[in-house]
Amino acid sequence: MKRVGIIGSGNVGTNIAFFLAENRIASVRLVDIKAGVAMGKALDLMQAGPLRGYDTTIEGSNGVESIVGSDVVVIAAGRVRKPGEHRIDLYLNNSQTVKAICADIQRLAPQAVVINMVEPVDSLTLLAQKTLGFERQRVLGVGGLLSATRLRYLVSHALATSPREVTGLIVGPHRSTMVVLRDTVRVSGIPAAKLIGEDRLDAIIEEVRNAGDTILQMAQWSTAFYAPSAAACGLIEAVARDTHAILPVSVRLEGEYGISGLCVGVPAQVGAGGVERILEVRMSEKERQAFDSACAELRSAIQQAESRQTAS
Amino acid sequence: MPRRKVSVIGAGNVGATATYYIAEKVIADIVMVDVMEGMTQAKALDFLHSGPMRSYDGPISGSNDFATITNSDVVVITAGLPRKPGMDRMDLLKANTAIVKTAAQHIARYAPNATVIVVSNPLDVMCHVVLSTTGFAIRRVIGMAGILDATRFRYFVAEHIGCSLSVVHAMVLGGHGDQMVPIPRFTTVAGIPITELMDQATIERLVDRTRKGGAEIVGLLKTGSAYYAPAAAAAEMVEAILTDRRHMAPCAAYLRGEYGIENLFIGVPVILGKHGIESVVELDLTDDEKQQLLASAAAVKKGVDELHTFFKVN
Repeated sequence: MKRVGIIGSGNVGTNIAFFLAENRIASVRLVDIKAGVAMGKALDLMQAGPLRGYDTTIEGSNGVESIVGSDVVVIAAGRVRKPGEHRIDLYLNNSQTVKAICADIQRLAPQAVVINMVEPVDSLTLLAQKTLGFERQRVLGVGGLLSATRLRYLVSHALATSPREVTGLIVGPHRSTMVVLRDTVRVSGIPAAKLIGEDRLDAIIEEVRNAGDTILQMAQWSTAFYAPSAAACGLIEAVARDTHAILPVSVRLEGEYGISGLCVGVPAQVGAGGVERILEVRMSEKERQAFDSACAELRSAIQQAESRQTAS
Repeated sequence: MPRRKVSVIGAGNVGATATYYIAEKVIADIVMVDVMEGMTQAKALDFLHSGPMRSYDGPISGSNDFATITNSDVVVITAGLPRKPGMDRMDLLKANTAIVKTAAQHIARYAPNATVIVVSNPLDVMCHVVLSTTGFAIRRVIGMAGILDATRFRYFVAEHIGCSLSVVHAMVLGGHGDQMVPIPRFTTVAGIPITELMDQATIERLVDRTRKGGAEIVGLLKTGSAYYAPAAAAAEMVEAILTDRRHMAPCAAYLRGEYGIENLFIGVPVILGKHGIESVVELDLTDDEKQQLLASAAAVKKGVDELHTFFKVN
């Protein structure tokens, strides 16, 4: 059985452990610096095991040493965004956390595939990849897959069909500038626009862009965690079971899509070693322009944050 | 909520394997009926013995008596003869018409509210036999063909790309035979149409292999035909109906003007749910696709006409 180390036992980290156990994907080591929290949650989950038929283990710990030898390590620590908070402040805050965790991963699980959940996800996935010094295929950010699962849900809801046959790819940064590849939004292969109309699809795409904020406002100070955990679980499953699934994932580009030195969401085939290949999908002229300007904007945001960090 | 009941008529390889897949989903009580003495009872008992390990929580029973299908929610007809060497098409049509007609009469009598999934071949013609014998609403008689052809196409595409099966979707229309109509532009990998991922020659090769998917297996087995994929396709339909999943997939549906086709069972995308076919999805087809679909419909029509001739003669 593969082993997944999860650093951070907040809502996201704990729900990833939950989904992994429910789907019998991998055993989990849940770590949190807060005394007892990871241990308490792990124990609670394992006590549900006899009823839920878990055949994997979940162990909680206060010490990061327990991730030693993990096949996958998930970074789910750091602070979540407050309503109205500027991403740059979140970056400055969380980058210190991510750097410290990367040093631990480098020491304890140097062969692992690393999945970053911490926001702002693309910037911090790039930071993690640089800090770890791992080949880029092994450092992934959850972003596109989260938005894609939201898109699939909304399309299936509009059509009153099962979401299982709905597809949809999202590329670019994991923020409101994300680019939905319209032609990939389909149901059993049939373009969704033909089934629900272009206007309805436009409205859904707009809803996906703001989905995180919508939940943040609805749930009052609590960020979404079920769908983000499910997205992480999707990536972990592809790695742990070597499925070669094709999923939108944030990974450092080196020339693909004409971009270098940035992590943004792209469709990638994922297996035991992380990203096996990046698919370059045809974009419309409009999508291409939106993608380029979103990437440029992300690059300047990162530069701005870095210069603020150096200054302070 | 009352327990749901599925009956499987014909306990050969397709029927027994469909029973297995349905049992694994733990969504209904299952009854197998076959005219052969003892066989369904034996298979049902064998399934029940595996139950403690596989967590089946409902009864699975076998019988030679059609009365056991009473009040089924869904009935799957898999009964029929396979084509034997030397047997011509017409002989097969006559033999299976008699078998399926008997099954349909029993369904109308014992399970008048059931949705019927037809698996017996020649598929499209057998659907007509069931519809005319039972007199059921057209949304409650559905042929299993498109899901099977599509799952084969999906497998061939995934194998070629080297990616997981779960991200591949496919659309195959038309009758369940050499004239089926796979639609490459509605066949996708993670939503990307295969027309963008492979060249025309490769697509044609995979389409051709899909068309001959059943024959390829018969050629390998020599004395039998495929049953795992057909049974899996039937079980998928049972699940969609019982769980009201509203699964959009190609199935043989009785058309009354959709796609310009009148009074014929032909494979088209439908939404499967608790009423059977919830709706037929009409696609904008290219002229070429439309022609292929009409040619396929003409072949099905020919089979139905043969059936009518046979009934007039007898």
